[in-house]
Amino acid sequence: MIELTLQALFSGLLAGGYYATVAVGLALVFGAMRVINLAHGELVLLAAYIAYAAESRYGINPVMAIPIALVVVASASAIVYALLSRIEHDREINSLILTFGIGIIMTNGILTIWAADIHSTTNPWFQDSLVIADTLFAMNAEVAFFIGGLALMAGVYWWLNHSWQGRAVRALTSNRNAAMLMGVNPRQTEILSFMIAALLATFAGVAIYTGKTVFPSLGHVLTVKAFIITVLAGMGSIHGVLIGAIMIGVIESLTVTYLSASLQELAGMLLFLVVLFVSPSGLFGGRRALAR
Amino acid sequence: MTRTLAKLAATVATAALMVALGGPAAQAKDFLLGSELPLTGNLARVGQGMHEGIAVAIDMANKAQAGKHSFKVSTIDDETSPAKAVAAVEKLIGDGVVALTGGYGSNIIGPASEAAQKAGVVYITSGGVTPDLTGRGYKTFFRINNTDGYALAMIGLLQDMAAKKVSVVYLNKEATSNLAKQVKDALGAKGVTVTMHEFDGATSDFKPLINKVKLQDRPDVVAMVGYENDYVGILRAAKVLKPDVKAMVGVWSLATSQMAKEFPDLMENVHGTSMLPYPVEFTQPEALEFAATYKKLFNKEPDYLGQFGYVQTRLLIDAILRADAAGTLAGGGLPDELRKTDAQTLIGRVTFDAKGDNPNFTHRMGQHQGGKVVLVWPKEFANGAMRFPATPW
Repeated sequence: MIELTLQALFSGLLAGGYYATVAVGLALVFGAMRVINLAHGELVLLAAYIAYAAESRYGINPVMAIPIALVVVASASAIVYALLSRIEHDREINSLILTFGIGIIMTNGILTIWAADIHSTTNPWFQDSLVIADTLFAMNAEVAFFIGGLALMAGVYWWLNHSWQGRAVRALTSNRNAAMLMGVNPRQTEILSFMIAALLATFAGVAIYTGKTVFPSLGHVLTVKAFIITVLAGMGSIHGVLIGAIMIGVIESLTVTYLSASLQELAGMLLFLVVLFVSPSGLFGGRRALAR
Repeated sequence: MTRTLAKLAATVATAALMVALGGPAAQAKDFLLGSELPLTGNLARVGQGMHEGIAVAIDMANKAQAGKHSFKVSTIDDETSPAKAVAAVEKLIGDGVVALTGGYGSNIIGPASEAAQKAGVVYITSGGVTPDLTGRGYKTFFRINNTDGYALAMIGLLQDMAAKKVSVVYLNKEATSNLAKQVKDALGAKGVTVTMHEFDGATSDFKPLINKVKLQDRPDVVAMVGYENDYVGILRAAKVLKPDVKAMVGVWSLATSQMAKEFPDLMENVHGTSMLPYPVEFTQPEALEFAATYKKLFNKEPDYLGQFGYVQTRLLIDAILRADAAGTLAGGGLPDELRKTDAQTLIGRVTFDAKGDNPNFTHRMGQHQGGKVVLVWPKEFANGAMRFPATPW
């Protein structure tokens, strides 16, 4: 029983790491622009497919493909931003419709280019097992990208709290007009947050390609999961995203172990509803949540 | 007056000539078939596979009927949505299709075929295996495969393995749940200890589940009932945790050339349903033509989805031609003509019972061996020896 519990906690922790890398980008863009980018999951998926294309056609290791994927995902993010910035009225609502549509276009674009087959890395190292104390089992990819994801999120956290640009993002989140009066250029700051989100999406996409399987309809699943975690964390809270993601991962994993794997999504949603019932702003919510 | 009589005589003479030549049935006709399939969404992969098989059947029929009749297919993507499938069927029927071939997913085929039944239009498929579909007793619904055929193959293989304890890991969809329960009941009746583990389609990390199998169930065999990405997740988790089992056995979408190419290290020694070995070894003339046409149209080897799509459409076309020749097509005679089907096909003998099901359907089991899929069950179709005990790790 102890072995089962420990493995469930370990698996939940690693799954939470995956979820967090996907969700942080969504939270960052929301913090900076008050926009929920419903195409974020498709950007993650695009990175995964670029890694697949690089590996299958040119034999490039998925990790080495990150810079290539970053260029493509950043370009796609720039287009998304350019379209979003043209919305003049009711940006929060209209951006939902726009990004939802962009997500559909991207899904179908991926389907057209790469067909509907499932893909994952063929590099055996990523799938080789890592055993800790003869009790905890994981794939190399899961552990490597969990550590990498933590480092990346720590970097984003530091950037938001200690760099001028990061503080500008937080200032925009807190009070857009006051930030502009203080000399913050909102357009530049928003573009920057989009690019950071693109970096996170690229990392998450390559992590999913190496540790899971990718297929064209995966994008919206990722977006929904990221959205739930972002709301659970409190819209715009970066470290809340990490904690919320790990909570979701662990509760799902424990549900699989002690109840049924068919109830894991339900368990995650119940946790989400309970947290919102107790704290309607989420775990670390509030208007000034970014990077708290 | 004379001119009028001459025209009348010419008309009568023409009509008499047409009757002598076999009447209107002898005229060249263009038959439009309808196809509603998931070309996008979660079932895009399987929908596209079936779509390719349908295209091959149309191409071969047009070649065989050159100068006589021609067939076309109008396809609408149902986007893996039951509501859109119903709308697609209604649109195709409105466009005047003779019959419908396609559909994937029992939950989608159910309402789509109901819309076809209401309009009295034949709906033939190989994408929905749940017993409920034929249990409705629709006159216009036909399918060439069913849960029984998949269950027979999996149970037969597990019995050949003499498995005493089996853990069934299955997706909580209608078709997969039905199949898993059928396997459980059949094995349970033979004294095999069966443990059931249901999972959700959103599950991507199977380690906690496989750890339960490893530490609590300790089975001889893990039986998997799901789809491609589920199998990959389960096998990856099993490869990491290395449960002490003798075999990993699945059903559809597993013993395929695609899986052999895409996941070679993960698939080794894994069993799944497969009508043909890979590389494909066709010997019959029809099968050879099917493979050549498939290669010509899609530049790849045919897979099981293409095979099933082809067979269902070929049988439909044959029935349309027979009904047309008998002059019963326009009068709604196609369902009765389809019920007269008794054909040897790429998936074996096909006949239809009163409910539109094919009682002859029994699948075969293949095993991934060194990048190939070797048929290992039943013995009469086996083209190699089963490796047992053997797992991917």
